[in-house]
Amino acid sequence: MTKKALSLTEFMDLPQELQFEVLHKHGVYVGKRKVERQTVVLFQLHGFYVEVYYKQYRKIVDHLISSNSTDILQPYLDQINIKDFTDGKKEK
Amino acid sequence: MTQSLPPKSLVLYADDDPEDIELVVEAFQSYAQNVELMTFADGIELLNFIEAVDPLHVAPCLFIIDINMPRLNGKETLRRLRRIETFAEVPAVLFSTSSLPADAVFAKNFNAGFVTKPLHTSQVHLIIDEIIEHCSDEVKKMIKKRNGN
Repeated sequence: MTKKALSLTEFMDLPQELQFEVLHKHGVYVGKRKVERQTVVLFQLHGFYVEVYYKQYRKIVDHLISSNSTDILQPYLDQINIKDFTDGKKEK
Repeated sequence: MTQSLPPKSLVLYADDDPEDIELVVEAFQSYAQNVELMTFADGIELLNFIEAVDPLHVAPCLFIIDINMPRLNGKETLRRLRRIETFAEVPAVLFSTSSLPADAVFAKNFNAGFVTKPLHTSQVHLIIDEIIEHCSDEVKKMIKKRNGN
């Protein structure tokens, strides 16, 4: 049986602990950036994107921003090379 | 009377991200009595180190290798590591922010584990324990015994 991919709306409706679990199990790293002193990591998850804003890197999450718009990729473009797109993945 | 302590287990960790290195160093503090963690900024540094040392004096019990690194990525580092006879069988873990099944298969093909980096604090120690699980039974037993577990 094939598992149905989670939609953006379904992801947003999940409790935060479950969102972390899904992101940890299925998220594909896209890039990392700093917003002032905050570290932000962008993941691709199924057909949408999730940005994790940290209060403390990999320890305390401030908030998540989910979007299915590719505009969210803009600040990370310098970290994405064309091979990642052709392979459909980015590793970290 | 002096009693000599058994040598610490040596873990070698390559990652280009200073924040990830800091996190793992901190997480390994709870094993500091038993484990010495050496860090390298990328795969080239790690390979240069192990090629230069005398394997009789420096015997790592585990390699932790980030996948996405400049100069030499983690997969190529692992591939080259496995070509060195002395280290061909030493436990290794590919460590990644993504959990791509293809990477897990690659790791398995090179007799290595695959661990996804933590997203938040409740996962940090679980993941370090998961990494330690890849050590040999002898090393695990020693670490756990000396850690009082």
